[in-house]
Amino acid sequence: MSLPADNAPASRQAGVHEESRPSLAALLIDPSFWADWASVVGLVGLVILFGVTSPVFLSVANMQAILLAAAILVVLSIGQTFVVATSGIDLSLAASVMLGAVILGLIHAAGLGIFAACVLAVLATSAIGLMNGLLITAGRIPDFVVTLGTLSGITGLGLILSGGEPTMVGSTFLLKLASGYLGPFGYPVWVAIAAVLVAHVALYHTRFGVHLLATGGQAESASALGIRTNRVKIAAYTISGFCAGIASILLVARIGSAEPQINTSLLLNSVAAVVLGGVSLFGGRASILGPAIGALMLTALVNGLTLLSVSAFYQPLAVGVIVVLAALIMRYQK
Amino acid sequence: MRMFNCLALGAGLLATTFAVPAHAEDAKVAAIVKGLDNPFFQTMQKGIEEQAKADGVGVNVQAAANMGDATGQADKLTAMALQDYDCYLVNPISVSNLVQALVPVAQKKKPIVNIDSTIDAEQAKAAGFAVSTYIGTDNVAAGALAGEEMLKLVPKGSKVALVAGIVGDVGSNARIKGFKQAVEGKLDVVVMVSADWDREKALTAATDILAAHPDLAGFFAANDIMALGVERAVQTSGKDVKVIGLDGIVDALKSVAAGELTATVAQYPYVVGAMGVEACKLAAKGKELPANVPAPVLLINKDNAEASLKNFPRPGGDYPDPLREMLK
Repeated sequence: MSLPADNAPASRQAGVHEESRPSLAALLIDPSFWADWASVVGLVGLVILFGVTSPVFLSVANMQAILLAAAILVVLSIGQTFVVATSGIDLSLAASVMLGAVILGLIHAAGLGIFAACVLAVLATSAIGLMNGLLITAGRIPDFVVTLGTLSGITGLGLILSGGEPTMVGSTFLLKLASGYLGPFGYPVWVAIAAVLVAHVALYHTRFGVHLLATGGQAESASALGIRTNRVKIAAYTISGFCAGIASILLVARIGSAEPQINTSLLLNSVAAVVLGGVSLFGGRASILGPAIGALMLTALVNGLTLLSVSAFYQPLAVGVIVVLAALIMRYQK
Repeated sequence: MRMFNCLALGAGLLATTFAVPAHAEDAKVAAIVKGLDNPFFQTMQKGIEEQAKADGVGVNVQAAANMGDATGQADKLTAMALQDYDCYLVNPISVSNLVQALVPVAQKKKPIVNIDSTIDAEQAKAAGFAVSTYIGTDNVAAGALAGEEMLKLVPKGSKVALVAGIVGDVGSNARIKGFKQAVEGKLDVVVMVSADWDREKALTAATDILAAHPDLAGFFAANDIMALGVERAVQTSGKDVKVIGLDGIVDALKSVAAGELTATVAQYPYVVGAMGVEACKLAAKGKELPANVPAPVLLINKDNAEASLKNFPRPGGDYPDPLREMLK
């Protein structure tokens, strides 16, 4: 995203139209521009494509539906972004969402009130994130192995706690959360927007954000500079767990029950959204808006294909092709 | 720039390929089923599509990505709810995951046909709607059919054993209940075990039961997979013990045709899907739908196993279909 140093002052001084045109053309043939903006380009492309082919796609109601459907994935991809920025990966994300939902359901069923249930669900998933972080740093086990292990462990825990049975959560608060609107957006969309804003500020305007990217980019230099990289990593995984907790509340609100079943597409799509968002899987390079738009793009893709009556069999294929294409374009990142 | 060209080209292609033809069709049906990673629901999808073709009804069948994709299924239904369909055919992953997505459908006063898995009536009521009709298989009736066949096969007062699925499973309980009701007072149920829907566990359990009860006359297993395991145990023992299963999967039909498994009670996801389309067509004609329509269950023994195999996934012979009668 950073312009070459000699271009930047020039375009700032001179008239925008005169000077920026050559640089815009230069931008358009520069592969790294496309790499940086892959998710935006993809989203715009999809909106044009589906807007032309399906009359319903661009309707206000459908736009609202896409945003509502994307809210959970946006929150999860933010969590995944923090972890990936440290050059890690959180495979336990979708399982944490399931455990959060199960705990929420059980505590609500026990009659402790919906707020206590939500808070405890978020605390539980954050604790899982914390545990992931501790095992990776203090235990010196690769992130992939640790989160794969917790993925399985949490799955079992969820099944044990729930007895394999779904729990109904008939709460008016959650019903309002899922179906209520404030202005043009549903409440879950506002939750996602708030998460994007907070995460963006945390990543770009705090010392923690700088330390996070330094830890992911050059861990050794970062620790030589006095950054406590282990703490930063633990924090990143805890944030990921926290996001899983928020997502589990949104999930229970949306489907009205807490089910001990893992939605694997949430995990895969969270990683896909992060890749689409231009976040480097080797760490040190991240944005929040990119993955959020990536999540929106994946949701819009499934929505559009559904509107066009494309068979469900082709939809994962389309997602796969787009993710791999995005990764290919990403090779041209500077 | 090349990318934009590609996108434009792609848009054009998609527009020509996927634009839904909207002519010469009585009604347009939107269908959403569970994960197509399971053959049961693939068969259901086939039933929906073939019946729609036969009836001249336009249909868009969508499915969840997998059996855990409760929100994805709701998202797809939400998208379809915005389109101009005349009828919505839904097979929800859980009793509540599609409730919110169905609210706009109900507001447009479009019929909602619930197939296979039920939507919780309480939650639907809280959301302000009720389904137009429910079409599904009655597990108790299916179990009873197996019980009646067993009565024909073994002398009165014979000993039989029951092999259930996972403990507490609603479907398993209903099938066992139906069988017990049918044979009550006429046969002696000596033992009931749970084999977790598993072929190997059923084989082991049946071996033990045969050793404990040398004069056993028959087994009823709550699904075909377990029945095939039980049949293997019976074969090994060399005894003439009748084995009846339930589901009507291809392997079981083949086994019945080969004279190994005695009988099975077949359910037809294909017919459940097809009947859903019929219900939509009825609704489009302005007919009142019955609240509950039982899908057919048929007994398959050596006489009709070949025909059933040939017609799979359709039933081997004619079957009762109240909706078809109403369409006439």
